[in-house]
Amino acid sequence: MIRTFDTILDECVDRVNRGEKIEDCLAGYPEHAEELEPLLGTMFDTRSAYNFRPSAERKLAARQQFNAALGERERERAGRRPLVPRLLAWPAWAGAAAALAIVLIVYFGVSQGGIPIVPGPQPNPEGNFAFLISDEVNAIGDFQSLEVTVSKIGLLLGGNESQWIEIDPEVKTVDLTLLPGEKAQEIWRGNITRGQYTELFIYVENVKGVLLDGNTTTDVKLPSNKLRMSKPFSVTGDAVTSFIYDITVVEAGKSGKYNLKPQIGESGADQKFEKVEPPGQGDGPPKGSSKKEKDKDKEALSHGADNEQTLPTPRGKGAGARR
Amino acid sequence: MSVSISAAAVGYFGFNYAILDTNRRFAARETKTMLLDRSASERRSKESALAALYDEYYDKIARYIFVRLGDRAEAEDLAGEVFLKALESLGSYKERGVPMQAWLFRIAHNLVVDHFRRAAKRKTVPIDDLQVASDIDPQEAAEASIEVARISRALDQLTPAQRQTIELRFFGELSSEEAGQVMKKGAGAVRELQCAAIRTLRKLLYEGKPSEGGE
Repeated sequence: MIRTFDTILDECVDRVNRGEKIEDCLAGYPEHAEELEPLLGTMFDTRSAYNFRPSAERKLAARQQFNAALGERERERAGRRPLVPRLLAWPAWAGAAAALAIVLIVYFGVSQGGIPIVPGPQPNPEGNFAFLISDEVNAIGDFQSLEVTVSKIGLLLGGNESQWIEIDPEVKTVDLTLLPGEKAQEIWRGNITRGQYTELFIYVENVKGVLLDGNTTTDVKLPSNKLRMSKPFSVTGDAVTSFIYDITVVEAGKSGKYNLKPQIGESGADQKFEKVEPPGQGDGPPKGSSKKEKDKDKEALSHGADNEQTLPTPRGKGAGARR
Repeated sequence: MSVSISAAAVGYFGFNYAILDTNRRFAARETKTMLLDRSASERRSKESALAALYDEYYDKIARYIFVRLGDRAEAEDLAGEVFLKALESLGSYKERGVPMQAWLFRIAHNLVVDHFRRAAKRKTVPIDDLQVASDIDPQEAAEASIEVARISRALDQLTPAQRQTIELRFFGELSSEEAGQVMKKGAGAVRELQCAAIRTLRKLLYEGKPSEGGE
C-alpha cells in the first residue's frame, strides 16, 4: 500500500501526541524527513505555546460535581424509576402491598434515593457530633462579608440499614470572611446515631456577598443548592466527632464573577480547626469553653476522633488573610 | 338440558378467555418492565463509560477550549460543564454513531459556540487578557504571551475547518478518525486538512505569508 505524505504526517502527529520525539519520527521516514521536519516543528511550537494544564484543584472540584450528578441519577433510578413500571406489572395484591409499604415509609419517614430519612435529632450541647463550617482561603479577601445560609444538613449513615439523618442547623447563617483557614464555626451540635457515615450534604438556601468597597453586592454562583460530599467519618459516642465542612469562594477567571465550592480536601472529621463563636457571642463564655466541654474535647482528642485544636497553628496553605 | 350445556360451555370458554387475557396482560407488562430494565442497564453502562473517560479527557477538553477562549478559568469551568452536559444527554448518545470521546468534543465545540454567542463577539485569545502560567517569571510570561498571540493570529487565518482540525488533533489529541467524527468528515479529509493547515501555519509563522491552497 502506498502511503501518501498526508498519512505519514498524520502518523507522526499521532506519535508526537503520544510523547515521542520528533527525531524518532523523522528517523522512521528518512525519505520524507526533510519535508516533515519543519511541519512537525510547527506543530511542536504551536502546542508548546498553549502549554496549559488545568489546575488539579479545579479538576477535582469538577470531578466531584460530576460524581454528585452521577450519584443523584443512580439514586433517582433506584428510588423512583422502578416504582411506576413495576406497579403496573404487579397483580392487585402486590399493588396493595406496595401501597401499604408506601404508607409505612411515609409514616416512619420519607425516603431519599430509596434510603429512608429519619427526622432530625434535636440539638444538644453535650452531643456526640458537631458540624462546623470553614472557608479555605481563595478569593475571600475580595469580600467584606460573604453570608451563606444553610437550611439543612444531611448525613448518610452507612451499613446494612442505611438512612439519611437530616438536621436543621441551630446557626443557619455564617459569614465566611470570619472563617478563613483553620477558623470554623459550629452550626449544630447534638447526638446522632453511632456508626459509620459515608456521605453528607448541605442545602444552601442563600448566599449574599458584599465586596470590599462596602456597597457592591455580587452574585456568587453555586454548582447546586445541595452541596454533596463523600467524606466518610465515624461517630463512636465516646468522643465528640467534629466534622468540618469547608467551602471556598473562587473568582471565575478575571470576570468578577464568583463561585462557591465545597473543598473536599479540607473537609472531614480529621481536620484541625480553631473554633470561632458566632458574631455577638464572642463576649460571653464561648460555647466550647465550659470545663465540661473542654474535658469532652480533651477526651475526644485522646480518642483521635475530635480535632479541635487548642494551639492555633496555621494551615500549610494559609490562614487568615493569606491568599 | 341443551340450554344448561350451552351455558356451561359459555362459562368454560369465558373462564378460559379470562385466564388467557390476564396472562397476556401480565406478559405485556413483564415485557415492558424488561425493556425498562434493559434501558436502565444500558444507561448505567453509558454512565460508567463516561466516568471512565473523565480523567483522561478533562485535560484535553480544557486545553481544546482554552485555545478557543484564551481564558484558563473559563476553560476549566466549561470542561466540567461538558461532562455534566454529556451526562444529561446520554439518552441521545448512540454507541454505534461516534465514539464517546468524539461526542464529548462535539459538546465542547457547541458550548464554546454558545459561549461566544453569549459574549456577542468573537474572542480569540485577546492579547491584553491573555493568561499565562503564573509560576513563571514576568519576562518569560511576557514572551510566552507574545508567542501565544502570534500563534493565535496565525490560527485565525486558517479556514474554520483547518483550525478545528488543528485544535482537535494538537490540543484535543484525537486521532484523525475521531476528529473526523467530530467534524462529520472522513479521516482522509481530516488528514488533508491537517497537512494544509500545518503548511499554512508554517508559512504564516515563519515566512509571514499564507501558503497557496487551503481547504
